Amino acid sequence: MNGYRFDRLRILVVDDNPHMRKLVTTILQAFGANQIFDAADAQRGWTMLREINPDVVFLDWMMGGMTGLDLVKMVRTSVASANPFVPIVMLTSYAQLDHVRAARDAGVNEFLAKPVSARAILTRLTAVIEHPRPYVRTKAYFGPCRRRRGHDEYRGPERRVAGADTFVDVAEAMPA
Amino acid sequence: MPKQQPIELFMPPNMLKAKVGGSAVGLDSAAIKRAEQAMESLKTEFTDWINADVRKLGECRDGFAKEPNADSQGDLYRAAHDLKGQALTFGHPMAARVASSLCKLLDGNTNAPLALIDAHVDAIRVIVKQNVKDSAIANMLATELEGRVAEALAAG
Repeated sequence: MNGYRFDRLRILVVDDNPHMRKLVTTILQAFGANQIFDAADAQRGWTMLREINPDVVFLDWMMGGMTGLDLVKMVRTSVASANPFVPIVMLTSYAQLDHVRAARDAGVNEFLAKPVSARAILTRLTAVIEHPRPYVRTKAYFGPCRRRRGHDEYRGPERRVAGADTFVDVAEAMPA
Repeated sequence: MPKQQPIELFMPPNMLKAKVGGSAVGLDSAAIKRAEQAMESLKTEFTDWINADVRKLGECRDGFAKEPNADSQGDLYRAAHDLKGQALTFGHPMAARVASSLCKLLDGNTNAPLALIDAHVDAIRVIVKQNVKDSAIANMLATELEGRVAEALAAG
């Protein structure tokens, strides 16, 4: 039993498919969330992000016009972004590794391949609550650290060269 | 040796945890059960939903046939992509499989043959209309379509 008070969270669901919005909303409501907002396209999602400043975003990738990936990049890097740190869970029918990498490189926190399930959604929610990633700023990227979790088990040579706040990371410094 | 540059790494305050409280001991099985029951209650609507998605696929197919261009192909791809992701949730795994094959055919391929697109759309219509979950014939059909897509993509 986690005892999470999901009723305290503002959650934004952005998906151009009304059925998927209703499905995700129904699952979130069953978890106890009651401040759920939705948007039928990424442009409206961007507006709502600025209006309601949600705590978590569930975002579809494939939408007409601006894609979910475009929206993630705006959230992370636009000066007009209400909260560049907002956790974003990307919902998508894409499941190939290159798509996961592209989502990660845009600044997505968690990736959820459809079909969605109650367990999968709660797992991603729990992940952003309990295991938030540090954020990284480079010339080319701002967003959650793209290293795998559990990298503390890394056995290779130490590449960090500075103090706790600044270091050199070859993987982050290399172009995507 | 790649050029190294300093990067900034920082951990923002965990506002989510502060808001929701709770403990990190596994997943809340009661919450999952509640959500699964809520999904069960939605199942009466799943038939309407999948039918609406199939209708939209047909409309996008018609739009593409009438005016084949990047926009109409994008619409068709997104309709197929929606079905690929949702049909399984709505209890139609075979429709999801055929929609996945259609996505593969359309993804970045400007020479997708209309006849092969139609074969996919028609297959999805029949699978959903006749509520085909899994059958030898449906599997053969899906395998055949996947093979034709591979051939079409190989031919460029």
